[in-house]
Amino acid sequence: MIEHLLDLTVSAFLLAGLYATMAYGLGLIYGVLRVVNLNHGGMIMAGAYAAWWAHDQFGLDPYLSIPIILVLAFLVGVLTYAGLVRRLPRGAAGGVQSLLLLFGVWLILRNIAYLLFTGNDQTLRTSYSTKALSLANASISVNRVAVFFIALAILLFLHLLLRKTYLGKAIRAVAQNPDSCTLVGIPIERIYALTFGIGTALAAAGGLLGATLFPFSPSFGSAELLKSFVVVVLGGLGSIAGTAIAALILAMVEIFSILIPGFPVYLTAAVGFVLLVLVLVLRPGGLFGQRVLG
Amino acid sequence: MTVSPREPAAAKPRVPRGPVLPWVSRQALVGLVVVVALAAAWPALLHPSAYQKNLVTLTFLYICTALAWNWLGGYLGQVSFGHSAMFGVGGFVSARILLSVHVPFAWAWIGGGIVAGLYALLWGHPTLRLRGPYFSIATIGVGEASRLVFTYWEWFTGGSSGLSLPIESGLKARLYWWGLGLLAIMVCASYALRKSSLGLGLLAIKSDVEAAADVGISPTFYQDLVLFLSGLAVGVTGAFYASYFSYIEPGDMFGFVQSISFVLMSVIGGVGTIVGPVLGAIVFVVLRESLIASYPQLYLGLYGILLVVIILFEPLGLMGLFFRIGKLTGLVRPQVVAKAAPGGTGAVRE
Repeated sequence: MIEHLLDLTVSAFLLAGLYATMAYGLGLIYGVLRVVNLNHGGMIMAGAYAAWWAHDQFGLDPYLSIPIILVLAFLVGVLTYAGLVRRLPRGAAGGVQSLLLLFGVWLILRNIAYLLFTGNDQTLRTSYSTKALSLANASISVNRVAVFFIALAILLFLHLLLRKTYLGKAIRAVAQNPDSCTLVGIPIERIYALTFGIGTALAAAGGLLGATLFPFSPSFGSAELLKSFVVVVLGGLGSIAGTAIAALILAMVEIFSILIPGFPVYLTAAVGFVLLVLVLVLRPGGLFGQRVLG
Repeated sequence: MTVSPREPAAAKPRVPRGPVLPWVSRQALVGLVVVVALAAAWPALLHPSAYQKNLVTLTFLYICTALAWNWLGGYLGQVSFGHSAMFGVGGFVSARILLSVHVPFAWAWIGGGIVAGLYALLWGHPTLRLRGPYFSIATIGVGEASRLVFTYWEWFTGGSSGLSLPIESGLKARLYWWGLGLLAIMVCASYALRKSSLGLGLLAIKSDVEAAADVGISPTFYQDLVLFLSGLAVGVTGAFYASYFSYIEPGDMFGFVQSISFVLMSVIGGVGTIVGPVLGAIVFVVLRESLIASYPQLYLGLYGILLVVIILFEPLGLMGLFFRIGKLTGLVRPQVVAKAAPGGTGAVRE
């Protein structure tokens, strides 16, 4: 039993890395632009298909295609901002509009995926997909470990970017007060575009990493969007540590839910939602007191 | 609607009377009566084919769902992507009632509607603490979770093979009248809701939750109440849908596509207005019958393109277009525009 618990804890940790990557993209865009990127789910799906396609067509290893996909998704994000999101009013009144607009973009992406790749489930199989490491009697799939460390590397890079560079400082400044930023000469439009690009790239990276673990179809991404959202509400905005802890909590709850006797496996997808409701009822301000809602 | 002002014979001093319902505008009342009368005369006058009549019945149904969605999405400004949950619950509960007891279907519809309203409260009471986009994402979760739970809950919903309802002969022809009646009720209810203190409270909450709470409007109570009503109405339409097709399955009733269509109809017509969702539903059904029947693999993308184009160019949809033309030609006074969709989707741009 103890070994079993240890096993589950390890898999929860490994899964949390993936969740944190996806959630941070959503939180970053909301924190800076005050826009919820509903197309996050669409980009997660697009990342998964891009990695699968590159592997299928050119035999490119999914982990090696990460830089290319990050750059492409970043460009898609910048274009989405410049072409669509920039034209909308922001703040309370614009919230619904940007929501519907980005939802529309998501539907279009989904339809493109249906047309190109049909609605069937796809899996990304590499030569090492079935390999496993053994660690103290437990065996852990190589892929899960790789996903965890890549996610960790991405988050670390992001942390350094936001904390140590001039660009990161500017992004944080815009998140706090855009009006003052224009006074001191920060080009806020450019910062918005870059932030949207970074958030979108994170979504695609999350999708790619997810595709190495799970089967996916054009509707892939809606459950992931909900999970990212749960993590953002739990962990608050702006802190990578908060996001990581929240992602870990979600992964733990999901994985340990299978220990409940008689718990049907198909309900694992609803666990995130139940957790969300519990948080909203018990601690509407999130776990660490940084209110996301409002 | 209006009571005939016939006085009893006993001589009382005549007091000059105002209109019976002072908050009902005469134009709106006349408009509704004319439209309903036209719709009622249509089958007798033009002898439409069964296909046309069924299509119009379905349009009535969709208008009702669009109006019900609009109570939450338009008046309160909380966009729900999960209304298929109540649509499905209403449909399945009424189907189960019809299959187990012998009652007229209208009772089953009401039963389905009430359960659907309660179901909406169950998930809505906690999630309505979220505002705007966050509420919307949570509703995506509600829709997905409901679909999964009800698909696997086989003894209630029949699983993926669905449920067949008892077949009554000539039911579809009669449903035309039920649909028309439901439509009239929903339009009146939308109007009454919009004019009542409840509706004004909702608009206040949409503009500023905290300010509304400061003047004594309890956001929790108002939001819960309108969600219950919206869920109830959508549940009744789900039950109508079940009776209409006499076969339902969870994948369709709880499907994401249903939820999107509710959103889309209001957005096409004009969120927050009453005429808007009605027009939007008509356009939606026509569009679906003409375009999407021939290109079923493109419907998601078409819905997406519609959403993007409308939001970018005319956030108030057809009503916005109408007001814009009215302004240009000077036929519609600006006050009318402001009154029609206060707050809107933020459509009135500074």
